[in-house]
Amino acid sequence: MIESEVMRRREVLRRIALLTGGAVAAPAVLACLQACAPKEGAPAAAAAWTPKFFKGTQAEVVTAIADAILPKTDTAGALDANVPAFIDAMLADVYAADAQARFNQGFEEFGGKAFLERDQAGRSAYVKESLEKALAAEHAGKPFILTTRELTLLGFYTSKVGISENMEYVAVPTAFHGCVPISSLPKPVYWE
Amino acid sequence: METNSFDAIVVGTGISGGWAAKELTEKGLKTLVLDRGRMIKHGEYPTALKDPWELPYANRITQETRTRKPVQSRTGYPTPANTHWFVDDLDHPYTEINKFDWLRGYHVGGRSLMWARQSYRLSPLDFESNAKEGVAIPWPVSYDEIAPWYDKVETFAGISGSKENLPQLPDGIFLPPHDLNCVEQEFKLRLDQKMGRKLIIGRCANLTAPLTHDESPQRGTCQARNLCIRGCPYGGYFSSVSATLPSAERTGNMTLLANQIVHELIYDHEKGRATGVRTLDAQTGKATEYFSKIVFLCASALGSAYILLNSTSSRFPDGFGNDSGELGHNIMDHNKPGGSSAQVEGHLDEAYTGRRPNGFYIPRYRNVGKDKRAYLRGFGYQGRAQRTNFARYNDSTLMGDELKKAIREAGPWSIGMTAFGEILPYHENHMKIDHSRKDKHGLPVIAFDAIVRENEIEMQKDMRDDAAEMMEAVGYKNVTVRSDNFNVGNSIHEMGTARMGADPKKSVLNKYNQVHACKNVFVTDGSFMVSSGCQNPSLTYMAFTARAANHAVEELKKGNL
Repeated sequence: MIESEVMRRREVLRRIALLTGGAVAAPAVLACLQACAPKEGAPAAAAAWTPKFFKGTQAEVVTAIADAILPKTDTAGALDANVPAFIDAMLADVYAADAQARFNQGFEEFGGKAFLERDQAGRSAYVKESLEKALAAEHAGKPFILTTRELTLLGFYTSKVGISENMEYVAVPTAFHGCVPISSLPKPVYWE
Repeated sequence: METNSFDAIVVGTGISGGWAAKELTEKGLKTLVLDRGRMIKHGEYPTALKDPWELPYANRITQETRTRKPVQSRTGYPTPANTHWFVDDLDHPYTEINKFDWLRGYHVGGRSLMWARQSYRLSPLDFESNAKEGVAIPWPVSYDEIAPWYDKVETFAGISGSKENLPQLPDGIFLPPHDLNCVEQEFKLRLDQKMGRKLIIGRCANLTAPLTHDESPQRGTCQARNLCIRGCPYGGYFSSVSATLPSAERTGNMTLLANQIVHELIYDHEKGRATGVRTLDAQTGKATEYFSKIVFLCASALGSAYILLNSTSSRFPDGFGNDSGELGHNIMDHNKPGGSSAQVEGHLDEAYTGRRPNGFYIPRYRNVGKDKRAYLRGFGYQGRAQRTNFARYNDSTLMGDELKKAIREAGPWSIGMTAFGEILPYHENHMKIDHSRKDKHGLPVIAFDAIVRENEIEMQKDMRDDAAEMMEAVGYKNVTVRSDNFNVGNSIHEMGTARMGADPKKSVLNKYNQVHACKNVFVTDGSFMVSSGCQNPSLTYMAFTARAANHAVEELKKGNL
């Protein structure tokens, strides 16, 4: 592992620790530094990874946005599902250059510094306001905040914890029944 | 040479090659079956059992895939769950004189592993239209002649569907139909009431009940996972790998070789017949010759036409069996310019369980009976209604627990459908060999020049307008018309490159799929099609292949080949 990568990873970890109030179990963080594969069910803040796409404060800001949209409540939140790493990977490996550029430009306009200075309730209000603005305006391409939201939902509701805590995914349904009362379904259903 | 000699050689293992292998081996012929791609055995489906969270990138196509597989990506298919079934376009290039989508899977089973499984018969109307309308040449086969072969292949493959008594879409031998869901049932009723149009459940090669024969013990019933494209370890849908090749294997008469690229037929001038094929090993480049009494080309309409065009000799300077000049011409596909979608109000207390690997079908109604349009032929629609998922909250301001709770509820219903229309055979729509470019094996590539023309463009208007009109007529909200720029090939139903006909001056094959000028070569993939219908064609390839194999064995017995 090259040194700059280690430094970058430590920096991300430090910032995420700050962001989540610093309550990070040190051994978990160190273990992750060694092995660096995000583990299912690990504490949210321990989800460290080497960003492939994010630069500067992007990882920190996107992590905070995902956390504001889908926070941990009595059920798991976006950070439990390693959504920030998912968003980073999607931007790096799935999004085309024009969509990446739009994301970067939108990030600059989002005002990450002012956002991060707020407490949790303040961040939530900031995200909501920014969503309202984005939805009210006409855009040539998808705005930063809507891309981040879409990826947050996609990452969470295709993750094991996101699916299993919120709906019933039946791997092998065995049969199709076309028209049943929804009241006959035991749990919320995973819809394709 | 002894060890390389067989009774029959089958080139390709897709829908048609699998059937040729099964029929010829079951009739006792020692048969060599060649595929240009890697070996796949039933059960070897690496992503088949992966849950959503086990697939990277939420199963979206990556930029790396788009870079290596730019053509395959035009369809949206090569996602992380499926990309191993689609060729690397950089390794397998071709020339597009006009933009042409050529979707391929180079492995044993070919595209029978990834096909959409929709299985419809052509109708008497389809077999008669060319003759009645003076289009191209008449079909040399009638519906009544092919009907028993449809019976045979449907029974073996297991096709689910409903009997409808529609003259333009003959019933077959069906396993029980899938259910239409609640919204689709209502759409069916209202379409019939308001417009007199039929909506039926799709007919598909998924086992909604056990097969009615015991020839495929390796196959179980469909488990309603709707992950068919990854390969089904349950054998719930028909593919060469799950169905026909295991039957061929059990006869003990099949030698199946992977990684063998057939690039040329061997022609014996004195005997006036083909004596075998020349191959290159896809991995080592080693050249080999294999010999046989008969050859079945089942390498796909474009693949088989390539082999024929590439097999030149003093007898066939313009390609094998190409006395008519029609080889490589008359490329057809299905016209697919879009469709419609809408939101459906109500039905919030209704749902479905399981994931149906099938949708609804609106059979052709244009130019049927008294309906007369400015264009020839018609189209059908394939679609489905469903409850919407979490993505309906992408463009929303809902956050936190409120958002989680909202997403746990089933979303409102949406409905969508896509039109598939007939494309007429035009001599001008053709492929040829581009000798200026070579692939990594040193073989020249294909150049395609095929476009939709006046009749198709005229039909496209109806295909989009009718889609919207039907959804509006039944009262759906926010009806959206989808308008796609269609390239020939994008429906992955390419056909017609070696059409059959009664007149050898105007066709490449006779009515039994034999090359007119060399009767021991049979071509039974989509090449033989004289018109395209608007129905998904694979079932028709199965039926004609089984019939041709039967004919080949009879002719061999009579000493005619």
